Amino acid sequence: MIRNKSMRRATLVSAIVATGAMLLSTLPAQAATPGVTAKEIKLGISSPLTGSAGLSYGKVPGAMKAYFNYINANGGVYGRKITLVSRDDKYLPVRAATETTNLILKDNVFALVGALGTATHAKAYKAAALAAKNVPDLFVNTGFSGFTNQVKYPTTFMVLPTYAMEAKVIAKAIKDNFPGQPSLLIAQDDEFGTDGVAGFTAAGHKFSAPNVLYPQGYFSTPGRDAAVITSLKGLLALAPGSKPVIVLFGTTDVTAALLKAATDAGVEKSFTWYAGSVGADANTLLALGVKSTTIDGVVSASFMPDAKDLTDPYVKQFVDINTKYNKGITFDNYVLAAMNSAMLTVQALRAAGKDLTRKGVMTAIETKGAKFASAGLVPLGYSATSRIGYNGYWVSQLNAKGEGKPFGGKLVIYTTDSGAGAVEVSTFVRPTMPKNGIPTNS
Amino acid sequence: MKNINLKKSLVALTTSALIAALAVVIPTTAQAAPTCDDQTVLAGKSSTSITFKKCVGTDFQGANYEIRMPKKFNGTLFLYSHGIRHSTVLPQIPVINPSALDIATGYPEGWRSKLRTFPEVAPGRSPADQETIARTLLSQGYALAGASPRVGGWAVPEHIEANMNLLEEAKTLFPKINKIVSWGDSLGGHISQSMSEQFDSIDAAINLHMAGSADVQFSQLGDVIWLTKTLFDPTIKGHGYENRFPGDPDGYKVFITDIYKVLGVLQTLQANIQKNPVTPAWPDTAPASLKASPIPVRSAIMLLGLLAGIPPQSTTYDASSGPAGPLETTFGLAVNPAVAVLENYSSALGLGILAGYDAQIRCGGVVYDNTKTDYAARLGDNRYTWATALSGNTSINGMLAYLSPLNPAAPRVKGDADAIDCINNQSKYNGKVSTPTITLSQTADAITPAGYVEKFKNLYQGNVSAKEAKPGLLLNIWNKPPDTYTKFSSAGLPITPAVPTTGTSHFMFTNEQIMAMAKLGAAAAKSGKLPSTKTALAAFKKDASIFIDPDFTPALMPQEK
Repeated sequence: MIRNKSMRRATLVSAIVATGAMLLSTLPAQAATPGVTAKEIKLGISSPLTGSAGLSYGKVPGAMKAYFNYINANGGVYGRKITLVSRDDKYLPVRAATETTNLILKDNVFALVGALGTATHAKAYKAAALAAKNVPDLFVNTGFSGFTNQVKYPTTFMVLPTYAMEAKVIAKAIKDNFPGQPSLLIAQDDEFGTDGVAGFTAAGHKFSAPNVLYPQGYFSTPGRDAAVITSLKGLLALAPGSKPVIVLFGTTDVTAALLKAATDAGVEKSFTWYAGSVGADANTLLALGVKSTTIDGVVSASFMPDAKDLTDPYVKQFVDINTKYNKGITFDNYVLAAMNSAMLTVQALRAAGKDLTRKGVMTAIETKGAKFASAGLVPLGYSATSRIGYNGYWVSQLNAKGEGKPFGGKLVIYTTDSGAGAVEVSTFVRPTMPKNGIPTNS
Repeated sequence: MKNINLKKSLVALTTSALIAALAVVIPTTAQAAPTCDDQTVLAGKSSTSITFKKCVGTDFQGANYEIRMPKKFNGTLFLYSHGIRHSTVLPQIPVINPSALDIATGYPEGWRSKLRTFPEVAPGRSPADQETIARTLLSQGYALAGASPRVGGWAVPEHIEANMNLLEEAKTLFPKINKIVSWGDSLGGHISQSMSEQFDSIDAAINLHMAGSADVQFSQLGDVIWLTKTLFDPTIKGHGYENRFPGDPDGYKVFITDIYKVLGVLQTLQANIQKNPVTPAWPDTAPASLKASPIPVRSAIMLLGLLAGIPPQSTTYDASSGPAGPLETTFGLAVNPAVAVLENYSSALGLGILAGYDAQIRCGGVVYDNTKTDYAARLGDNRYTWATALSGNTSINGMLAYLSPLNPAAPRVKGDADAIDCINNQSKYNGKVSTPTITLSQTADAITPAGYVEKFKNLYQGNVSAKEAKPGLLLNIWNKPPDTYTKFSSAGLPITPAVPTTGTSHFMFTNEQIMAMAKLGAAAAKSGKLPSTKTALAAFKKDASIFIDPDFTPALMPQEK
């Protein structure tokens, strides 16, 4: 006869319990921190090296490695050299999930740094079980406000402001600098644009026509950009004599497509083009075929100094490092941002102390991160309750050389939050750069 | 584009053909003493000669069984539960039932889901593989047994009964049996698990890509059908066939007609995407408002997959790759995952319509109810992750609005509460694991997605927390696809692999992987403990597609939300 479970005889005996207790008392101490040895700290990054996004972001891992190598050549972090393992996710969510998982399970990295993209990283974060494994997820390059949710992303620290914050600052800048002009928002029809629309709404900005929302990849379809330009001409017709402000809240490829279409239509100077920070890299725009005369005058928002500004000590230091440790790579805004994130990383590792743990580095950023030295011209906002990096923007304007200069000739820094808080002019003065760009914080 | 191998000319069924196909298979109920004979066969690469006693018989409830007992028996018996088989006689239909049934010869060619009641004694991708596995285990001294329940379809209780009867018979015939490993694949994995939770005669359970409990499984399959009907062809009936087989042929005719309609949808979607992958046309049968919308139909396919829980990776499509050139990234983001869903979709749709029909017969009513389903909430963060494939928020919101219960063109399905209770009570496991249990699952399984195992894991962990199960009795092993695998021809067209990609499709485990699981199961049965992760991985001999990570948390089925 087949016995039922309820008939199973009890087998537990107290001796087993006692033996178990004895065994527990002799277990070794906590296992070693993954990715950390006496001589090495292994970090990982999943980002696009190839594919269409690789054109813009492909330099990021190399630039971070260059900075880490510079630090390594100058003693490392408490004697440990930093190794950065880079994997190419092509800006594709499933690839990002795969490569991030590989970084954790195969490469055994201590932490992730500089992951890029909302869809990619949201997918990767869960797939690689970063929360369950308590893997520090440092200085993520996306402004999606969802990553501020510490319940869903308990180990994530953003470096960018949120897109909502950027939209609020743009709204303020339009109000201050282009009063009375019609305005129109052309935004990516996903979380990027949703955050942006929420920011404009929170700022009370009213556009002159319904938002033009497009799915990512939309402008890969021939003729779509020209169709949008046709609709923009309608805006001109509605307000003769005006110079409407067109806010481009999307990636650089779309900014380029629309600027080229406007140029082809001969209306590029009929508008003030206000490109969000994600889509306003001048070098990329030029590489994508936008004429320098069209770029001249484009307004943008930024939290970093311009990569061409060699009077900035951080920029100058990073250029020097790039020349020596990243040979053959042109220094640009992406290299600058990458080296800046690498510098933040080194400070986070140092602040965590010699006994490096995953929890320790996250606590260090929460408690000390707001004071880290950084090239950013706006304050960092890290705290126990905030995982947002930079907390504001300054308004820049590109010239024909692709240089970003303070709009109106004066640097004005705006700070705000992701919610209903006001946009305020800040008197923030960034920390002095560590000597030779080598942090010595603790 | 991948050819799903649909025949272009689907011949309309005539009434006479339907009636001819409408045969009722009445299982034999005559109990017979087992017939045993000695057999000697060759096994393994070195063609070792093995001798075993093969016993076949029929239990008192009409289930056929088979036992193979090697001459050099080591004391452990593997009890195998096969997957679902049709309960309904079908005419030859592409994809759904590619080979015509041959009742006269007893369905000898081994098609996995064909109506038949003969037992199998080991898992495998094909009858030849099953025999290879069987002989290898016999050569190692293991005994084998398997039963086939007296009825087909979602026959969980009948299969468990047949297995228990078989164990009684086996122990009577061969008293030296002292350890039993229960194993099964797909629905058989579900059966194996349910049985090991109910009976203490099982010493270890090996569940291969196990099916979910009926509550979620039939919700998933029902969603696949309802979404297909609503988005692509509202004339599909889908649920609630009025006069169900075998009581009246009219219901059966509607059911068969539905099969042809869903195949027509699949065929059209395939052709339209092949013609224009970026902006494919909607099927002519789709609702007019959707056809007139700017939403590409590939986004509707993607939405269907996300809402129903169909993986966006398939045997051809890795959800990432694109042909080299300017559209590489766009294809990878927007097209590849959608056509992966389409490739998986045919399997899920086939199972859905057949299993759903069977469940309606079994329980006397509609076993699916989506009157309260909030599809917008169900989509959750997937709207961000797959924003490009879904063509952005405006497109997503438009499609979700169409699926809203407020849309009279998208009527919801009201289930029969008694029928739902019936199927749910017949087919569930509760995670009260009390014997070493090891699962092997594909991360991109088309029919039993990884979410089912995640649910099982959660149930077990809940029982451990509640002190209703002991810790350390469940090991989840995963089989994943390569990091990238979609191949393109020089013309930029995707190439379907000759052998399904590991980690995808359904039941594509290799003989080596199955033998590794058998080895682990036998050891666990003997020791009463799970193997360590290191030991378990070693059994797979550096198989790059296998991983073990207790922190790996595949998404639960969307129906769980």
